[in-house]
Amino acid sequence: MKESIAAIATAPGMGALGVVRVSGPALAELALRLTGKVLQPRYATLCRLRDDIGQVLDQAIVLFFPAPYSYTGEDVLELQAHGGTVSLQLLLAHVLELAKLIELPLRLARPGEFTERAFLNGKLDLIQAEAVADLIGASSQESVRSANRSLQGDFSKEIGLLTAQMVGLRTLLEANFDFPEEEIDSVYTQDLLSGVQTLQAQLATVLRKTQQGAILREGIRVVISGQPNVGKSTLLNALAGQDLAIVSDIAGTTRDRIEQTVQLFGFPLLLVDTAGLREQTERIDPIEKLGIGRSWKAIEQADLILFVRDASRFSDPKYLAEDDKIRTQFDANTPVLEVLNKVDLFDSSEIASGICGLMGSRIAPDRGVETTTAISISAKSQTGLDLLQSAIAEKVGWRSTNEGLYSARRRHVFALQSAVAYLTSAEEGMLSLNSAFDLVAEDLRLAHAELCTITGAFSSEDLLGKIFSEFCIGK
Amino acid sequence: MRYPKTFDVIVVGGGHAGTEAALAAARMGAQTLLLTHNIETLGAMSCNPSIGGIGKGHLVKEVDALGGVMAIAADEAGIQFRVLNSSKGPAVRATRVQADRVLYKAAIRKRIEQQANLYVFQQSVEDILLDGGDRACGVVSQSGIQFFGGAVVLTAGTFLDGRIHVGLSNFQGGRAGDPASIGLSARLKELKLSQGRLKTGTPPRIDGRTIDFSKCERQWGDGVDCVAGADTGDLSCPTNQNVPVFSFMGNAQMHPRQVPCWITHTNSATHEIIRSGFDRSPMFTGKIEGIGPRYCPSIEDKINRFAGKEEHQIFLEPEGLDTHEIYPNGISTSLPFDIQLALIHSIAGLENAHILRPGYAIEYDYFDPTALRPNFETKAIRHLFFAGQINGTTGYEEAAAQGLYAGVNAVSVTRGEDPWLLRRDQAYMGVLVDDLILRGVSEPYRMFTSRAEYRLQLREDNADMRLTEIGRKLGLVDDARWGAFNVKRDAVSRETERLKMTWVGPHNLESSESERVFGKKLEHEYSLAELLRRPEINYAQLMHLGGGVFAAQTNLHQLAQEQVEIAIKYEGYISKQNENILRAAAFESTVLPENIDYLAMKALSIEARQKLDKIRPQTVGQAARISGITPATISILMVYLKRGGYEKALTLEGLDGA
Repeated sequence: MKESIAAIATAPGMGALGVVRVSGPALAELALRLTGKVLQPRYATLCRLRDDIGQVLDQAIVLFFPAPYSYTGEDVLELQAHGGTVSLQLLLAHVLELAKLIELPLRLARPGEFTERAFLNGKLDLIQAEAVADLIGASSQESVRSANRSLQGDFSKEIGLLTAQMVGLRTLLEANFDFPEEEIDSVYTQDLLSGVQTLQAQLATVLRKTQQGAILREGIRVVISGQPNVGKSTLLNALAGQDLAIVSDIAGTTRDRIEQTVQLFGFPLLLVDTAGLREQTERIDPIEKLGIGRSWKAIEQADLILFVRDASRFSDPKYLAEDDKIRTQFDANTPVLEVLNKVDLFDSSEIASGICGLMGSRIAPDRGVETTTAISISAKSQTGLDLLQSAIAEKVGWRSTNEGLYSARRRHVFALQSAVAYLTSAEEGMLSLNSAFDLVAEDLRLAHAELCTITGAFSSEDLLGKIFSEFCIGK
Repeated sequence: MRYPKTFDVIVVGGGHAGTEAALAAARMGAQTLLLTHNIETLGAMSCNPSIGGIGKGHLVKEVDALGGVMAIAADEAGIQFRVLNSSKGPAVRATRVQADRVLYKAAIRKRIEQQANLYVFQQSVEDILLDGGDRACGVVSQSGIQFFGGAVVLTAGTFLDGRIHVGLSNFQGGRAGDPASIGLSARLKELKLSQGRLKTGTPPRIDGRTIDFSKCERQWGDGVDCVAGADTGDLSCPTNQNVPVFSFMGNAQMHPRQVPCWITHTNSATHEIIRSGFDRSPMFTGKIEGIGPRYCPSIEDKINRFAGKEEHQIFLEPEGLDTHEIYPNGISTSLPFDIQLALIHSIAGLENAHILRPGYAIEYDYFDPTALRPNFETKAIRHLFFAGQINGTTGYEEAAAQGLYAGVNAVSVTRGEDPWLLRRDQAYMGVLVDDLILRGVSEPYRMFTSRAEYRLQLREDNADMRLTEIGRKLGLVDDARWGAFNVKRDAVSRETERLKMTWVGPHNLESSESERVFGKKLEHEYSLAELLRRPEINYAQLMHLGGGVFAAQTNLHQLAQEQVEIAIKYEGYISKQNENILRAAAFESTVLPENIDYLAMKALSIEARQKLDKIRPQTVGQAARISGITPATISILMVYLKRGGYEKALTLEGLDGA
């Protein structure tokens, strides 16, 4: 017989209520032994849960959903008990113990296994199923959580509208290729160009909203990095508003990374403090060495790198050279925000003339305003933090107007980014001399394929169907 | 009686599929029998007298690269050549030929008669001989002669239980003037192969002497420069060096003299007449159950569906040099004859036209191609192959491509060799086969460039580069073609190499010239190949740079030049496509177990379960291309495979083919 599974179904942590869920082919006996009552299906019943020696463990609302009318399609037992990690763990352990007693094969559920069973039993529709497929492949709790987030209605509606426009453009172009002798409007180049431009602009807008949504949903991973003793941990404590990391004047105090989630303008920010980066010489002890390795790992995974620099050491060429070296090792695709710390050691005119002059000369003029801006702060005296917070928000593309944001997944953001890029290429193709329309069509096909990864497949047969319904074809 | 000689391959049907199948098998050295009900109709064009067109021209060039005869016959019979989409990019460029029916038939007949190992016999086929119940081993002719062979290729076209409709009257027929093949159809029905019914149609044919061409717009083919002559009323034109050529082995000298087509239009009076016949239309009264093609609707269908359109274009196409018969393309109809006559007479230029043959619609049986294996052998009966219109396709070109494909595979199966398969990224033939066996047909299937996701690399201009070598290995390509191909291929690779190794920069090109040609002066050194990749530059311009110092030493053939230029210009896009092909390859090589129980997969929609169960794709890649199978379905399928104890099956075993 198929094994039954059990797990704590609510998020870990303190809460007023916590739910233990059990699913399996036959749970009626377990329910009886647990509650001492014959439960009415799908009715909430208040029960005293007792352990095997009859001692009351907790009072709980118990629901029994006999198969197939349950989430998983199997018998499902839900125990809504008082929250709290320890008491729920105890309850779960008790359920497992009891099952052993009555020889019911019951084990802990893997992440996502309830949903997996639901879908194998035909309880989920196809759109949900895709998320589930991700879920089954997901290894960490974090990815399970992100896979669980399904597509929100408004977003898919908007993408649907844009896809329809895309289909319209492709229909025009493909009909012109496949039926050159038909009387399809020959002056379509202008229509096509303006269609591509309009669509591109609209997609860019959706992309912005989607990016914001993804930030809101999944948060941003900000890694604080820099040489030892530049004040990284002090900055973490300042941004987090509490003393999480030990700070001292001794270089290399932070040995391992420390993570903390904070709210910034309403979106979640995961701050990661790392061990200071320095050359791996003999003098460094093995533990710090490991810490530096982990720092680089954290930097690889960052959505944004806060590169903290000690403004008081800018007269030291060795220090500057080391900073430059570190900087070149960052992934070119990860945004970097430079933070000049310890400005409390200077007066404002010194900062203005010395530091800014130095910064300005090092930054290429064509890289935009964002990269040229370094934020001057003092983590210790907590000055400049407001500015830094705004700069972080700006750098990750967060805007304070949160109206109409789409709750989307990262992969949707990537798909939209690619689609916009292909449309840009299509536009360039059309504007260039000797443009070959087969290449423009290829760009549109690729852009369309990207949108289809969000909305679902669109075959060449569908495209032909569209052509035949819109044009009178038939030589 | 039993015919004394036993053949390797028996091909039934002498249309475009049958002739290419028989010729291909014979080229490979197989003893081949071609059975036709009438030797005189070998290579007959039963619909409009033209070869090629968008997507179709691509197929013809592929058949040609594999040694097939359609392109070279078109070169010998073509009375008007055009390159369609010439300004829209090489991937969608396609050749179309107006052919003289008599010359075309003669060109095909000549090649069949000259082909070694090929035997022709005139007699219609009544039955298929089976060995052990599920293996074809021969056929029985109308008069009871038994022909035995290792494999049978059936190319029965529209002849299976064909029914011709003109108005409300209808009669049996395979093509106007030819009998339908009833016995065979009944026999195949007994074999329980899944069947459907399709419809196609032709327009009435007109006597050109009764057309007032002064009221029509004249349309010459490409490369013809004799407009002055035509103004005097002379409808022909001597052939010209600049007229396009279809076959790799063809040339413009092969072409007969060139003639124009004419364009006229329907009008509101025509539409009124057509509407008045709706109540006697076999289409609208339900007499015809077969489904017709959406891209080739009858004129009554066009009037009905696009009521707002005030006129429809008609191409008046000459059927040949020695006939006055004109094919009015665009007004296929099955309306009653009195309506046909009135509608023709309402059209400008056709007021006094005499109809030589009435238009008609024909309904015919086809076999659901999802019942075929990837090599076109039927799943139900081994060594029995289906090719051409019998598989639900339309068009000479689609038929020829399938014929060649089935012919080669029939030889492979008799020799016990692996099936010969083509991928979607290799050829339009691969797209055609894959679409048919996985998606089936819901209307007569016609090739379009939009069906090919790898369109940029499946061009007419590189069909030879893609397939000649494959054809040579199969034994399809003779020494003459192979030699000529190698000359071109070597020239192309040498020149490509030279362009990549030749550097142009400020030191060897005047800045005034680089400003003029490239818009701004060259800052550093570029290879000629890099410069050629710029959209504003073509090969000829490069060769003229610096007074010709960068030109090739030996004069490069026009076609080789073109190949070098296109290959370099499209390199970026094509390498991106190749990445996609590689990514897809994992899916393509993930084999689905034979015994997988799709019907038990409750998470799949019922439609998806039934489709997968019916078609039983061999790989996940194939499953993904079945219509109605979404990416979500594939995800679910993968989960079932993982969870269902099929892990072992999911290793990269590669395809075992049939």
